[in-house]
Amino acid sequence: MKKFLEKKLKKIAYERIDILMSLAEEEAKKGNWDRAKRYVYLARRIAMKMRIRFPKKWKRRICKKCGTFLLYGRNARVRIKSKRYPHVVITCLECGAIYRIPMIREKKEKRRKKLEERLKAKSNSQTS
Amino acid sequence: MITPHNILRHELIGLKVEIVEAKNKAMIGIKGKVVDETRNTLVIEKEDGREVVIPKDIAVFLFQLKGCKVKVDGRLLIGRPEERLKKKIKILYPY
Repeated sequence: MKKFLEKKLKKIAYERIDILMSLAEEEAKKGNWDRAKRYVYLARRIAMKMRIRFPKKWKRRICKKCGTFLLYGRNARVRIKSKRYPHVVITCLECGAIYRIPMIREKKEKRRKKLEERLKAKSNSQTS
Repeated sequence: MITPHNILRHELIGLKVEIVEAKNKAMIGIKGKVVDETRNTLVIEKEDGREVVIPKDIAVFLFQLKGCKVKVDGRLLIGRPEERLKKKIKILYPY
């Protein structure tokens, strides 16, 4: 019973976070940054209280340092870098915080796929 | 999605609301959208854009959901937004 209830509550929590973040995005686009910030804060509080991970969809849209909603191109900058290792850099233009998202896994995946295709083509040509 | 069964634990921000009963009669009839919430109050943005702060425990709210309306006693909504999720719901009316 307890587990069932917890699952239900977690589901509600996820729904609430989605609603709040969507509203935060709307307000940010309208220019109501204070309200967007407030909604982000509330969403984070819900995640903490329920002890759930913040959804990946929204995780990179908030600045952890100043708690603001990141609107790419407006108050955040997104760049692709190859130096040392391939990664995406997101910079909050309000407080200067930097977030890096590695893409090593994606790169390896791509390479492996290409190799597989090549092998397949080779085996095909040999057969025919 | 928000249903009459889980509205007490769900997100109120963004919902259309109307106050149908209140101890302060001047509040009756206020209509608008919920834009913020604290432990004891709801902040409602009226149609003309002005914001009013309504204490939860003295009012009865009519929330507009998708496809239906729900009347909620404000006393059941008391609690910080994140705490409402885990709150035990007590019975208010004697039978």
